[in-house]
Amino acid sequence: MPSITLHTRSSGITQTTPANAPSHPVHNPLPQLLQTPSGLALLELQATINVPTSEAEQDDRSEDNGLANSTSYETPIGKLMFPDYSIHNPDDTKWMKRVYLYVGRYQRMTGEVKKLPRPIAVLQKRAGTVGTEELEVVEIVRYKVFFKSRPEPVNDV
Amino acid sequence: MATQDSRSILFTNTHPQQGFRLLELTPELEALLSSKDAPALELKSPSAALARAVVDPSAPEYVNLCTPTQTYRIRQVQSSNSLHILRPSLGQISRADIKVVEEEAGESGTLNLPDEAVTAIAKCGSTLELHVPPGGFSAVPFLEKSLGLYEKRSGDDDGDIAMDESSNGAGALGPAETRQMRDRVLVDVPVSSAQCEAGWTEICAFVDEEQGVCWRPSARMRLNVWKRLMEGAILQGIDLEKQFLVGDLWKSVLDDDDASEPFPRALLEAVARRLCVEDERPSLADEIKWASFDKAECTQWVGEIYLAATAPTPSSATGRSDFLREWKDCLPESWRDEVALSKLQPGSYQSPDPTTICFVEPSQRQQVSKTSAAAPAAAAKAKTTRNWHELLKNQKRR
Repeated sequence: MPSITLHTRSSGITQTTPANAPSHPVHNPLPQLLQTPSGLALLELQATINVPTSEAEQDDRSEDNGLANSTSYETPIGKLMFPDYSIHNPDDTKWMKRVYLYVGRYQRMTGEVKKLPRPIAVLQKRAGTVGTEELEVVEIVRYKVFFKSRPEPVNDV
Repeated sequence: MATQDSRSILFTNTHPQQGFRLLELTPELEALLSSKDAPALELKSPSAALARAVVDPSAPEYVNLCTPTQTYRIRQVQSSNSLHILRPSLGQISRADIKVVEEEAGESGTLNLPDEAVTAIAKCGSTLELHVPPGGFSAVPFLEKSLGLYEKRSGDDDGDIAMDESSNGAGALGPAETRQMRDRVLVDVPVSSAQCEAGWTEICAFVDEEQGVCWRPSARMRLNVWKRLMEGAILQGIDLEKQFLVGDLWKSVLDDDDASEPFPRALLEAVARRLCVEDERPSLADEIKWASFDKAECTQWVGEIYLAATAPTPSSATGRSDFLREWKDCLPESWRDEVALSKLQPGSYQSPDPTTICFVEPSQRQQVSKTSAAAPAAAAKAKTTRNWHELLKNQKRR
């Protein structure tokens, strides 16, 4: 397999959207700075989110059968909060210094929004390619939400 | 300070997760990808046979990212942190589950669903980083392994006529087929197409249209082509330094009374393309119709080719004064004054003893220049770097 094409956003024939993406525009609740055309954003944790795996295996199988969309579901983990962010003052960047991630109801991590030293391209297998493998750049992300500290206990908010 | 309008955004995990890869971009690549008409890129790795023939000591298996002109080595960097890819939620959340994060969500909680939610759709434990090794990337080592060596002795004419006859039935290849033949070779060469083209031109590789084979001519063959074309040019009064028709040069190479061709026309064109001044050189896809040669560049090339053909190793070294005389004899009368050892590329030759000279292969040449250039570069880097690994590494070495 000597060569795999990596499509860029303008080299593709059709406007590319990530697989499973909604067909209609969805409201993006993140601060403007973190919003990207495709809606994708990066969140880095010095931790792991554990989700039950027994179900996961079953679902992987159904994904192979092309049923991914119908079986997809979301499990709530917590809440993201940008306490100093105000939509009325988007140019002020001081809000980037503080982000909270509540895990469940009683734990909170404090992090920040960081500009990536080098932008990151998000690559994905191109949907609808049969036989040959093709990749595409679905987004270029320039910021990440970064949590490097351990969770601290908090009261229910 | 938290204010009233700071909102809570529900954070969920989507199942099943999707597969993504994160690729750290260099500034040039970012500019390229952000441009309006960004070209498609390629991930290239050598064919299994080529990977065995051209061993990269730094990585047994690798993938290169190629833009039309640039090549980057991809390195997978593991991270102990997990990077999640988020996107706005589609609202496929069971309201019962929200109790985990909010007691009274859905009725009187502060969360407004499903608008105010993001969801993690993928987790990446590693990112892909790009780097370019100090020597850069070249197609030449790969082409040297994948193309057959084109070598013909001068007394070989009978054999060649027989070969021509046997292939007459198949007919010559057209430009499109020629291109296909070339592309089939280049697809396995893991560098950008511009670098593939530069390497192909550098070694005068060509597609034999009669036999349908891609070749790289030996140094002796290239020297023969040069001698023939120079003699032809002198006879026909073609000034190689001014623009001339490559077709005229080909005619001048053919003997009037002998119908057989001394070598394929494609080989002459490959040599003309190699020697053509760079800003007049057409791309490989286009036929080379016009060309003009640069005296200094030609002289240097002929000198190196002559040395490569006659004294390729220290054991076959030739006398210096003999070499200089032969070199002069390979050039048109008016170019003879150009000849001097200093005109050869530094490192392209060595002297086993004070009176002799021999050729140094480009692959070995690079190692010499790398080791000599690496030390000051590393010292300069150590001054600017804040990475203590590098600081300590260099201190130990000194």
